[in-house]
Amino acid sequence: MCGIAGVARRGSEVVSVDTLARMAAAIRHRGPDGYGFAVNGRVGLAHVRLSIVDLVTGAQPLANEDGRYIITYNGEVYNWRDLRRELEARGHVFRTLCDTEVLVHGYEEWGVSLLNRLNGQFAFAIHDRADDSVFLARDRFGVRPLFYSLQHGNLYFGSEIKALLASGEIEAAADPRGLDEVFTFWAARPPRTPFRDVSALEPGTYGRWRDGGLWLGRYYELDYPEAGEEHVDALQQLDALLCSGVDFRMRADVPVGGYLSGGLDSSITCALAARSSPYTLRTFSVTFDDPRFDESTYQKEVAAAVGSQHAIQPIDASAIAAAFPDVIRHAESPLVRTAPVPMYLLARLVRDAGVKVVLTGEGSDELFLGYDLFKEVAVRRFCLRRPQSTARGRLFDRLYPYLMQGNRGGEFWRRFFLNAGSMSDPLFSHLPRFQLTARIKDFYTDGFREALDGAIPLQELRSLLPVRFYGWSPLNRAAYLEMVTLLSPYLLSAQGDRMSMAHGVEGRYPFLDHRLFELASALPTGSRLRGLREKEILRRWASRVLPPRIGNRRKQPYRAPDAPSFFGAGAPAYVAEMLDPATISRIGVFSAPAVAGLVRRCRNGQAAGFRENQALVAILSTHLWYSEFLEQARTATPLDVRGADVLLHEAESASLMIA
Amino acid sequence: MNTTDTEIRSRIRSYITENFLYMRPDFALGDDDPLLERGIVDSMGVMEVLQFIEEEFGVQAADDEITEENLNSLDAITRFVSGKRSHSYAA
Repeated sequence: MCGIAGVARRGSEVVSVDTLARMAAAIRHRGPDGYGFAVNGRVGLAHVRLSIVDLVTGAQPLANEDGRYIITYNGEVYNWRDLRRELEARGHVFRTLCDTEVLVHGYEEWGVSLLNRLNGQFAFAIHDRADDSVFLARDRFGVRPLFYSLQHGNLYFGSEIKALLASGEIEAAADPRGLDEVFTFWAARPPRTPFRDVSALEPGTYGRWRDGGLWLGRYYELDYPEAGEEHVDALQQLDALLCSGVDFRMRADVPVGGYLSGGLDSSITCALAARSSPYTLRTFSVTFDDPRFDESTYQKEVAAAVGSQHAIQPIDASAIAAAFPDVIRHAESPLVRTAPVPMYLLARLVRDAGVKVVLTGEGSDELFLGYDLFKEVAVRRFCLRRPQSTARGRLFDRLYPYLMQGNRGGEFWRRFFLNAGSMSDPLFSHLPRFQLTARIKDFYTDGFREALDGAIPLQELRSLLPVRFYGWSPLNRAAYLEMVTLLSPYLLSAQGDRMSMAHGVEGRYPFLDHRLFELASALPTGSRLRGLREKEILRRWASRVLPPRIGNRRKQPYRAPDAPSFFGAGAPAYVAEMLDPATISRIGVFSAPAVAGLVRRCRNGQAAGFRENQALVAILSTHLWYSEFLEQARTATPLDVRGADVLLHEAESASLMIA
Repeated sequence: MNTTDTEIRSRIRSYITENFLYMRPDFALGDDDPLLERGIVDSMGVMEVLQFIEEEFGVQAADDEITEENLNSLDAITRFVSGKRSHSYAA
């Protein structure tokens, strides 16, 4: 796991290694173990390395036998040994023991179709020196990030946007539509980002740049070919893929640990990891002093059951507030939740424990319909078929018991869900969330509204849905929307990659093995959500490896303390500065009088609902984001080129070509 | 103490404007505007409104009275408060 960056120029101007050294420095946190550069005329590649596989010869950038193809790569390909054998049989000669080299030879052999052969999480760039083209690719579900910008035909790319900005050749500016998507979906939807002229390569796609043009293509499509009945072998297939998915992800030349929330998914990954680990498994959890969020009882129970050496990261409100600016710097986006902060602090604990790789349970809720949102869809549809029935509406009380105010006001909750939208709307499943999140827009200035020029994120999303979407069941439509609007753009980035890689820790996701996705998406929805029991088939399987209390435990949503964290006697000084009327007016996204009203209510402890909590987090994070990226123009000290592990340049690459 | 419906409505309007419409100063709140459907108050906010009227007007709402019929517009809340008060005075 690492960080990558690069530049490809349309004209004849060569790429300076100093430019690459600045870009690499901006993402050095992703790769503290080494770095390297490849400079070949008008194309330059940079790499910062987190050593996990082939600690001795795995440095990058790396070339194929004749020096024609040069790669900079971030990620893991778990089936690389099989691919290597196949490539060796076809005459390719390998010099290292790492998966990187499989990509470079595989691209040479198979071209774009290499991507369909890979099982892993990756983002990489390959420079083909024969025609000076650059090939960019990203894994199927967007575990690893890859951003790019095309400026007058020049291509800039990197694992993080800060690498692009560090080139000094891209102006940091806000994209109002990108911000508006954050305040609708929780994150901008790829390819859009909150930055103007900076795009995210979409999961499951690739790009090929040549002579100033960039052509994009898709190699993987999410699909839900739902079966009418559960196949008699389904449980066996699930068993095989869960075990294989974890075994694959335990492969590393360093110890692999596990995140343990205490819920079903991470308990499964940790139980399987403990079985296949050659060491005592290290597990890591966040605990909260607020009992509404804390799951430590379950975490201890699982840790004892799997025999792991367990460590905890306690989180309180002051920790949230203190780390929030760092989290925004790494997330590179405003946020509407503080939930990434505990993940950031947890990764620091993991790094300090000397562990570089952790397995997580992310992805299971999307595959096996674990989120309350899916039950909500089922209940809303059930209620809307007989809107006059009060008994049906009471199902919402069972669904969200923690939201009920001492059992008062249930009718209002029910009305909120039932009025959210029509069953004929393709976004039906997500309208309550999207509409609730969009209340942040009540705080916009008129000027910012005008800058949006009438763009409506929900309309755009509707217009981009694939035709096959309309052939899926309502729950599979919901699962798809969850994958494309939240999993990749938010959970795997702001709450995943960015938080762990901030500390040089690689997250691995057994549930996001594409073979498992394809198994789950072909199951009848009743095998995943039966009545209001989520992850039905997974629970059936989990009884083999987990204590019954964990295997049958109802999902607890992961939440963290929010708006109140930023007020009170111990509030950090930046909060007042970022919410100051002068700051608000200078940035111009949110209305100063409106924010003043919100701040007053927060200070008085009156902002108790989702609406105001998310607005406060959104406003504060937007101002931190502006300050960090648009106003300060922070520059990292360039990496010392003389200290590079690899420096491929024209002459060396040429000699490789001759050899 | 004899608060008129007009005064009750005015105090509730002020409360809702100050606490739920501070970010939308141009919003024209009609007496019969449905508070939830127009996105003025969310379901959590209804409980805040309830707490306000209980403290401000000294009325108590039973659980089965926390309904849209009683709480979903200025007019509805005014009727509810007024009715509770006259009921308690009559008693």
